[in-house]
Amino acid sequence: MSELHDLQHRFMDYLLQESVAIIDDIQSTSVLSAKDRLDIYASAYKLRLKEAITSDYGKVASYLGDDQFDQLMERYIEKHPSHTTNLRYFSINLPELVRDEAPFNSLAELYELACIERAFADSFDAKSIHFATLEELATIPEQAWETLQFKFQSSLQILWLEHNSFPIWKALAEDNVPPKLEKTTLIAWVLWRRSDLISHYKVLSEAEVAALDLALKGESFAVICEKLLDFFSEEETPIKAIGFLQSWLAEEMLESFNW
Amino acid sequence: MTRPFLGFGLGLRTDHYQHVIDEKPQVDWFEIISENYMVPGGKPLANLDKIRKDYPMVMHGVSMSIGSTNPINMTYLQKLKTLIERVEPQWVSDHLCWTSVNDINSHDLLPLPYNEATIDHIVDRIKQTQDVLGRQMLIENLSSYVTYNNSDMPEWEFINEIAKRADCYILLDINNIFVSANNHHFEPEQYVNGIDSDRVMQFHLAGHSYNGDMIIDTHDHDVCDPVWDLYKYALGRFGAVSTMIERDDNIPPFDELRKELAIAEKIATKVLTSKQLKISGNVTLAGAA
Repeated sequence: MSELHDLQHRFMDYLLQESVAIIDDIQSTSVLSAKDRLDIYASAYKLRLKEAITSDYGKVASYLGDDQFDQLMERYIEKHPSHTTNLRYFSINLPELVRDEAPFNSLAELYELACIERAFADSFDAKSIHFATLEELATIPEQAWETLQFKFQSSLQILWLEHNSFPIWKALAEDNVPPKLEKTTLIAWVLWRRSDLISHYKVLSEAEVAALDLALKGESFAVICEKLLDFFSEEETPIKAIGFLQSWLAEEMLESFNW
Repeated sequence: MTRPFLGFGLGLRTDHYQHVIDEKPQVDWFEIISENYMVPGGKPLANLDKIRKDYPMVMHGVSMSIGSTNPINMTYLQKLKTLIERVEPQWVSDHLCWTSVNDINSHDLLPLPYNEATIDHIVDRIKQTQDVLGRQMLIENLSSYVTYNNSDMPEWEFINEIAKRADCYILLDINNIFVSANNHHFEPEQYVNGIDSDRVMQFHLAGHSYNGDMIIDTHDHDVCDPVWDLYKYALGRFGAVSTMIERDDNIPPFDELRKELAIAEKIATKVLTSKQLKISGNVTLAGAA
């Protein structure tokens, strides 16, 4: 099938870079030349990919404006030909392009906005098997607490942001004028999807993100408590650790326990 | 086998999820785009499960790339099979085209040269695919805008031969016949007459757009009168065939699409008897021969 393979290769080269080798394989008619016929496919190729990017990064599009966003999409399509069978995953590397390449990397908040949008998309169709409950927590034997580990919803993601990118994202989502850009201290946001299938997000305190980070890495409750001693007294630590755990349960971040 | 008849269906689209879940409108069946549900979980699959409880479904894919010279994508087929097990569709279809080569996906339905070598290539791939899926599949004719110099047979002969040799079925897109007939200057009725009736399992109907003298398969308009005429002609030739309308852009409220589907029903009742239009029970196509 090398003849068909070579033909498909030439066709794809036309879509990707308008390489003209395929033209001799295509019939021209009195109505339309071979090149004009191929251009129907070349236009559709870009249009379809741009629709997919716009659908995934609508707030980045609003923030940048049509011309700059189109420039960003052109760059992405050129640098990242699709290797996925599902358009849903085509634009998954857009935040990194924004972070790494001029002129987009001159807007530091743009990378954060793109990360927020990707996190929402990943949360939207993440797998959820079960939501752990306080009642299930109550069944854990006392001797198991030291080695207790936690499994979180696969939708849960921590985003470290150093600008007011979430307020900007929220304003864009509500079609409001975004607030003025502000640089902040590095803040941890957590984003996850609850049983109502809606994605939620909130800021985490330094202590809670330290605990959550260890829990996500599979560390035990004992290790988490030890880390919390960096933030609280020996007396306060167990209460704070249980408080975090209760909050993760109440907010449906946890899938199951293991010991 | 006697052709099963599901009645008249619509493409399930996100814009209509809530209406379909809340109102349970009268539609005989829905067709889903397989790839939209080949995701880990969340809203797409939750809505799919809810709607599946109330309606028969068929699955229609856009990324199988059955005509590609890439190796068959087994990861894709396994995911498709997992979805098939979840949905338990009446049947599964994809397009007689290629979408990817050298591991790059165009996300478009790209045409093939119509010749013996391509037939050999595709028959082998469909057989392998049907073996993996454990069932016969349907292949759909495309709208196309180019003709290759090394094509040496009409499209209908090409599709017939593949269906016969791979022992699969045909999803005949009436709009695509109309579009390609315009773009390649043949009579659409000649195409319909040339298709092997025993292999036709489903019809697609859709709208299109004009781009100069060319017609583009955009699925963003109502079905136009000449396509309704061709549908009527096809019903006369093939008898009762499960029919659905695809709408992918400029999507109207559900009730408007439902009214459009009623036109298909009305045409069918004029051409066919009520006995012919009796809806079949649950359908399972056989494993590949």
